[in-house]
Amino acid sequence: MSELQRESILGLDNIRLDLPVAGVGSRVLAALIDYLVMGVAAFLWIFLWALLFSGQGTWAVALLIVGFFLLEWGYFAGQEIFLGGRTLGKMALKLRVLTAEGGTPGAGALFARNLVRSLDVVFGIPLLAIDPLSRRLGDRLAGTLVVHDREREAAPILGRVPPGWTARELALVESLLVRSRVLDDQALVWQMADRVLARIRLDAPELLAGIDTRSDPMAALRQALQVEEG
Amino acid sequence: MDYARFVRLRRPVWDDFERRLAGSPRDKSLSHAGLEEMALHYRQVLHDHALAAARYPGTAAAQRLQVLALRGTHRLTRDRGEGAGIRHFFTRTFPRAFRAQLGMTGITTALFLFATFWGLAVAANRPSLGLAFLGPEAIQGLEEGRMWTESLVSTVPPSISSSAIATNNISVALTAWSGGILAGIVPLYVVLLNGMMLGSIIGITMRYSMAGELLEFVSAHGPLEISLILVSAAAGLSIGRALVAAGDRPRSLALRDAGRDALAVLLGCVPWFVVLALVEVFISPSPDLPAALKVVLGLSLEVLFLLMAIQPFSRNAHD
Repeated sequence: MSELQRESILGLDNIRLDLPVAGVGSRVLAALIDYLVMGVAAFLWIFLWALLFSGQGTWAVALLIVGFFLLEWGYFAGQEIFLGGRTLGKMALKLRVLTAEGGTPGAGALFARNLVRSLDVVFGIPLLAIDPLSRRLGDRLAGTLVVHDREREAAPILGRVPPGWTARELALVESLLVRSRVLDDQALVWQMADRVLARIRLDAPELLAGIDTRSDPMAALRQALQVEEG
Repeated sequence: MDYARFVRLRRPVWDDFERRLAGSPRDKSLSHAGLEEMALHYRQVLHDHALAAARYPGTAAAQRLQVLALRGTHRLTRDRGEGAGIRHFFTRTFPRAFRAQLGMTGITTALFLFATFWGLAVAANRPSLGLAFLGPEAIQGLEEGRMWTESLVSTVPPSISSSAIATNNISVALTAWSGGILAGIVPLYVVLLNGMMLGSIIGITMRYSMAGELLEFVSAHGPLEISLILVSAAAGLSIGRALVAAGDRPRSLALRDAGRDALAVLLGCVPWFVVLALVEVFISPSPDLPAALKVVLGLSLEVLFLLMAIQPFSRNAHD
C-alpha cells in the first residue's frame, strides 16, 4: 500500500492518520463502470416499464419520466447513502467516500457531492489530476475524499527478533516471509533466507541454537524468529 | 520496547478491535457497554498506530494498525449533520438555512427584476426576439389570438405534462444550485436568462394584446415558481460566494458549510415544484376557472411557502 498517494489528517488525540487517497485513474474507471451500470439500469427500466405499464394510460408515461429523473439524479447519491459511501463502480475498485476527517459522511454530504456531478463530467477530470487530494467539485463542496478501501493482508507475526534490528530490517524480513509463499524460484528464496540467517548469526547467535539452517533455510528462519501466521 | 514484545503484548487488543469492526455497522444488538469498549479499543489502536508509525514504520504491525485506525475512524466518526427527520428538517433546518441566505435571495430577486424589465424593453423594440424565444408556431398562434399554453392540456395528457414540468423545473433549480460551485456564474446566468425570457414574453404578448391571457395563465403557479428558482439560485450563489470570498476560514471549510446550508434550502424547495407542476397543468390553463381564483391561489401558495420558510411565529426555528 505504500505506493498509494496518501494524505495525512489529525485523528483523535491529534494522532496522524494517512488516508490512501484514490487517484484520477481509479476514480475515472469507477465512474465509467457506474455510467455503464446506469445505462443498463435505464435500459432495464424501459424494458420493465414496457412489460408492466405499457398501454396502462398516460400516468404510465409520467412514471417513465419520473423513473428516468430519479435514475439521473439519484443513482450515485442513492447508492452512496445506502452502501456506506460506495457505488457499484467504487465497490469494484475497492474505493470508498469518507469525510475529510476520515469519518463516515452523512446523507446530506453524499447527496451534495453528487448534485454537481453533471459539472464534474467537464471539470472533474482535470481537477482530479491536479489536486493533491484528487477532489472534484463535488468533493470540495461536500468536504469528502475518496480513498482506497483495502482489507488487511495476512502477514506473519515475529515471535522474537534480534536486538537492535531497525524497522527497515524487520520490514524486509516480514516481506521475505510473505513473498516466499508466492515466489516460484525456491533457490532464490533460500539464498535470501541464508543472508538473513547469516545476519542473525552475527547479531544474535543464541536465536539459532539447535536449529538446522542447512537443509531448509526458510524453515530455519521461521523457527529462529518463532514466526506465527497472522 | 522490542518489536516482537510490542506485537505480542498488543495483538489481543488489535484482534478484538478487528473482530468488532467485522460486525455490521447497523448491528442493533451492540450494547452501550460494547460500544464503550469498542471506543476504548479504538483509542488504544490509535495510540499503538502512532507508536508503530514512529518506531517501526513499514513493518507488518505498522501496516495493520494503519488499516485498523482508518477503519475504526470510518466506523466510529460520523458526519451527522443537524438532525434527523422530515419534521425537524422543515421546522428547523430549512427555515434556518433559508433565513441565513435572505440577503442572497434579495440579490437574485433584484437581478431577476432587472433582467425582466430589460427583456420587456428589448421585446418592445425588437419584435424578432419573440421568434427566438417562442418559436414560429407560438407566434403564429398569437397572431390568430391563441396562447401556446393551450397545448399544455390539449395536445399532451395532463399526467405527462405535469411530470415533465416538475422534472424540468427541478432540473433547472438543481442546475442553478449546483452551478454555484463555478464561482456563482451558472446561477447568475439562470436568473438573468429566466428574467429576460419572462420580460420578453410579456413584451411580445403585449404586442398582440394578449398579455392579460399570459398573466392569467401564470398567476396560479408563476409567483412561487419564480420564487423557488430565485431561492435555489441564491443557494447556488452562496456556494459561489464561499468559494470566492471564504473570509477568515479555510476555503474548504467555508465551502462545506455553505454547501450544507444551500442543500437544505434546495431540498426544502423540491416538494413545492411537484405541487406547482400539478397547478400548472390542471389549474393554470383551465378556461373554466376565474382569473381571480388563480391569482388568489398563486398568492396563497407564495405566502404559504414564505411562512414555512421563515416561520415567523415559531420559536424552534429561531434557535
